Amino acid sequence: MKLRSILRVLSLLAFLSACVAGYLYYSSLKEYAFQEAERNALNRLQTTKKNLTAFFSENIKPIRVLAAMQPLVDVLDKPEPKTLNAANAILDLFKKTLDVEVCYLMDLRGKTLASSNRNDPDSFVGMNFSFRPYFQDAMQGLPASYLALGTTSRKRGAYYSYPVYRKNSDTPLGIAVIKASIFFVEKELTPEETSIQLVVDPQGMIFISSRSEWLYQLMWQLKPDDIKQLRKTRQFGNGPWHWTGLRKNGNKEVLDASGKPYLFHQIAVDDYPGWKIVHLYDLKAASKLVSEPLLKIIQPVIIILCLLLGASIFFLYRQASLEIARRRTMEQALRRSEKRYRALYHHTPAMLHSIDKNGNLVSVSNYWSDALGYTRKEVIGKKLTDYLSPVSRKYAEETIIPAFFKKGFIKDIPYQFVKKNKAVIEVQLSAITDRDEQRQTFRSLAVSIDVTERNKAERALQEAKEALSSYSKDLESQVRKRTREISGILQYTPAVVYIKDADGKYTMVNSKFEELFGIRTSDVRGKTDQDFLAPDIADQFFKNDDRVLREKQSIQVQENITIDDDAHTYLSTKFPLYDGKGRVTGVCGIATDITALKKAQERLRRLSASIMTNQEKERAYLARELHDELGQVLTALRMEAVWIRNRVIKSDPTASARALTMCELIDTTIEEVRRLAIRLRPGVLDHLGLVEAIEWYTADFEKRYDISCVFEHNDGPEIRGNIATAAYRISQEALTNVARHASATRAKVTMSFDNGNLSLSIKDNGTGFEPEALGDAEGLGVANMRERANLVRGFFDVQSRPGGGTRICFTVALTES
Amino acid sequence: MIRVLLADDHSIVRAGLRRIVEESGDIEVVAEASDGREAVLAVRKETPDVAVIDISMPILDGLEVITQLKSEFPEVPILVLTMHEEHQYVVRAIETGAMGYITKQSAPEQLVKAIRKVHSGSLFLTDEAAEALALRVAKGNNAQSPLDSLSTRELQVLRRLALGNTNREIASAYHISIKTVDTYRFRLLKKLNLRNNADLSRFAIQNHLIET
Repeated sequence: MKLRSILRVLSLLAFLSACVAGYLYYSSLKEYAFQEAERNALNRLQTTKKNLTAFFSENIKPIRVLAAMQPLVDVLDKPEPKTLNAANAILDLFKKTLDVEVCYLMDLRGKTLASSNRNDPDSFVGMNFSFRPYFQDAMQGLPASYLALGTTSRKRGAYYSYPVYRKNSDTPLGIAVIKASIFFVEKELTPEETSIQLVVDPQGMIFISSRSEWLYQLMWQLKPDDIKQLRKTRQFGNGPWHWTGLRKNGNKEVLDASGKPYLFHQIAVDDYPGWKIVHLYDLKAASKLVSEPLLKIIQPVIIILCLLLGASIFFLYRQASLEIARRRTMEQALRRSEKRYRALYHHTPAMLHSIDKNGNLVSVSNYWSDALGYTRKEVIGKKLTDYLSPVSRKYAEETIIPAFFKKGFIKDIPYQFVKKNKAVIEVQLSAITDRDEQRQTFRSLAVSIDVTERNKAERALQEAKEALSSYSKDLESQVRKRTREISGILQYTPAVVYIKDADGKYTMVNSKFEELFGIRTSDVRGKTDQDFLAPDIADQFFKNDDRVLREKQSIQVQENITIDDDAHTYLSTKFPLYDGKGRVTGVCGIATDITALKKAQERLRRLSASIMTNQEKERAYLARELHDELGQVLTALRMEAVWIRNRVIKSDPTASARALTMCELIDTTIEEVRRLAIRLRPGVLDHLGLVEAIEWYTADFEKRYDISCVFEHNDGPEIRGNIATAAYRISQEALTNVARHASATRAKVTMSFDNGNLSLSIKDNGTGFEPEALGDAEGLGVANMRERANLVRGFFDVQSRPGGGTRICFTVALTES
Repeated sequence: MIRVLLADDHSIVRAGLRRIVEESGDIEVVAEASDGREAVLAVRKETPDVAVIDISMPILDGLEVITQLKSEFPEVPILVLTMHEEHQYVVRAIETGAMGYITKQSAPEQLVKAIRKVHSGSLFLTDEAAEALALRVAKGNNAQSPLDSLSTRELQVLRRLALGNTNREIASAYHISIKTVDTYRFRLLKKLNLRNNADLSRFAIQNHLIET
């Protein structure tokens, strides 16, 4: 919070200093502008003065020339029309050439005799201007110049007069006057908008002004006497002359009637004593002139500055807020950790205590106080050693505590604490010193572990060990006995037994093994198969044993062992051996010689094959005999019978009827013979091949049993011979089973050829059965099919489950046939 | 006169056949053969108008004889006369090139008719044989036919239904009960996902089970 207010104040100060800097810059600019204005004003005044002086001196010489003109003298001498005309002509000439307002001639009394404006409505002729100072001065022989408002023409002008003398005479006859218009001078005054230029007479009467409404007004307020005096001179007409309202304000400044300030400068006009040129500089306009462009520049600068300032303040403020938040989080974390530490200290399920330098307890954990039966209040401030047994106290005071403060830690010190109820508990105490920032020990942190139970347990363990030792001796003798028994079994069993370790090295073989391979146990130990067995046997053993080790499962395999051209087949059971942790440590093999059994089996298989083949041959022969021989004879008989019947149908109807009966009898017999033949072996199988035979059989099956039977097959080679027989018989057997047992409504025979294999499957939607629970009769059918498959080295499989139909598969490689 | 070759390994049968043929009046047996090779030689020698060939014969069986004759004398029509009733034989014989197929049992009644028919250039088949052939042709049309999922009996019933036979007619043709025919019909509709007999007809035509 504090940090935030500091930030706010700082930002305010930054803003203020920016403002002050701006203001100072502005005023210095203004100051400079004023100085510039002043210099300008003085320059202008000088220029105006130069102009005025030039203007005023313009007609000084011409008036002398005019006054010296003879016709003027003449007309003053003899005022008659002739001379007058000549004088007028001169006057006109001068007026024209000098480009002045008017030129005129006055006599000694001040009356105008001739004038260039004699024909104008405001003609001076006949007018008396003797009151004018320029007249009086000229009459005294002084050339004069005079600024005044014309009494007749009501126009301002600069009057130049000069006396007109007769030749060689000092007394003027009259005067010549040139009046030049002020108008053009005034026009040239026009200063810049911010200033006003005035030409004033010594009284402050404004005679020339760049501000026309101020003409003939008084610059300063005059006293009534002075005004009266002014009126008397008639220099500026008859008035009234209002006061402009200007007032002086200090040396260089004036205020107008509305209080608007002007910078005031004045300069005297040469040749016109008391007359001044005044320059008024409008301060407000001036400052506006300065401030406007300045503002134009400053405003965006200020805005940008403000934005930057604002942005930086916002950024800093945000940074600060984050910092504050972070600190607060840290503080909270610190507080929490402290709290946790305290809670941990008190609630740790261990006896914790801390002592100060003097060995007095400063804190104990709940567990400590619970363990000893004291409340915390009772023990804090007391000596730790008060709660130790006398032996431990002595040990602690003399050895442990000094050592602890010296070393900074102690570990597993056996102490005995005395509980409040005087019971003694044994502990192991470990402690470290808890140092402050100056690394001065000020308290300890000690953990005491109650080892009472442990010590008890240790003693009990010792006893148990002894008991175990005697038990294990007993066990050893038992083991020895068992070993003897097992050794006996191993020695006299007709099986070959061996044990290998996980690396395939023999650790034990029995006497039969020794006998078979002609090697002694002691020589075999530590050797691998390859070390002492013929390569084919070694490979076989190694492969099978390795499989057991890898799969960690027992297997049963046939192994062929040929020694000295004497081939034997063994049925070997191999299983992994485990250690106590369930790791496989080796493999044990028990091989039984089944050569005799195998031979018997093979003989049986051959016998059965030969029986089947012969049976098949016999059937084929019988079928052919029946169908082709007997059938043909019957057919021939039938032809004869038909012939007889047709022959006597008219002559002897009875004989014909008999012949017909015979014919029918023969038909029935032919049918019977055919059925018999087909049942033995369908001719289609031999004549047309397997596909047609099964096609015929399935169609016939469907007809006979009313079970929908679909036969699907893809194109393949024509199958004949043993494989065709096997496939046909298997289909026949399978479908017969379907008809007899399955209660199916549909059966499907699929035959496909791919990769040189013939696959046959017979599927039904019948009741199915548990494959394990095949009855004898059904079992015989399956066995028959299996036998047929075996005969051609085919693969045979029955898949079935109750309610899920049955599927019989037969696959055989076609390459051999 | 139609000149005929009789090829049969059974002399008694051959004699019977010769008598049946010759009694017709317009057919004459110009050669006899007792095995396949003899049959081929006889045709080469005599060039009969019709060759009547048995399937089961020694040395060359009837099917091999047909193959050989077809390549040598494609113009000589062959009539298969055999003990075998199974449709598979009929189909194979016709596929191999025979023009007609009859069983020896029916020879007294049909042989003459059959010889005349094949001599005239037409096929001679019993109704059953014709049906078997139609079914096989339809099935063999394309590799993956919806017909593959049908059994022989189902195909037969489908064809008959498509031809417009009544249930009663079908039942008597196959010696099954009318109810069974109906069961087959129902099963066909379900299997082929069809609604009625009209659909069945359309399906049969599409799959070339019957000619339009």
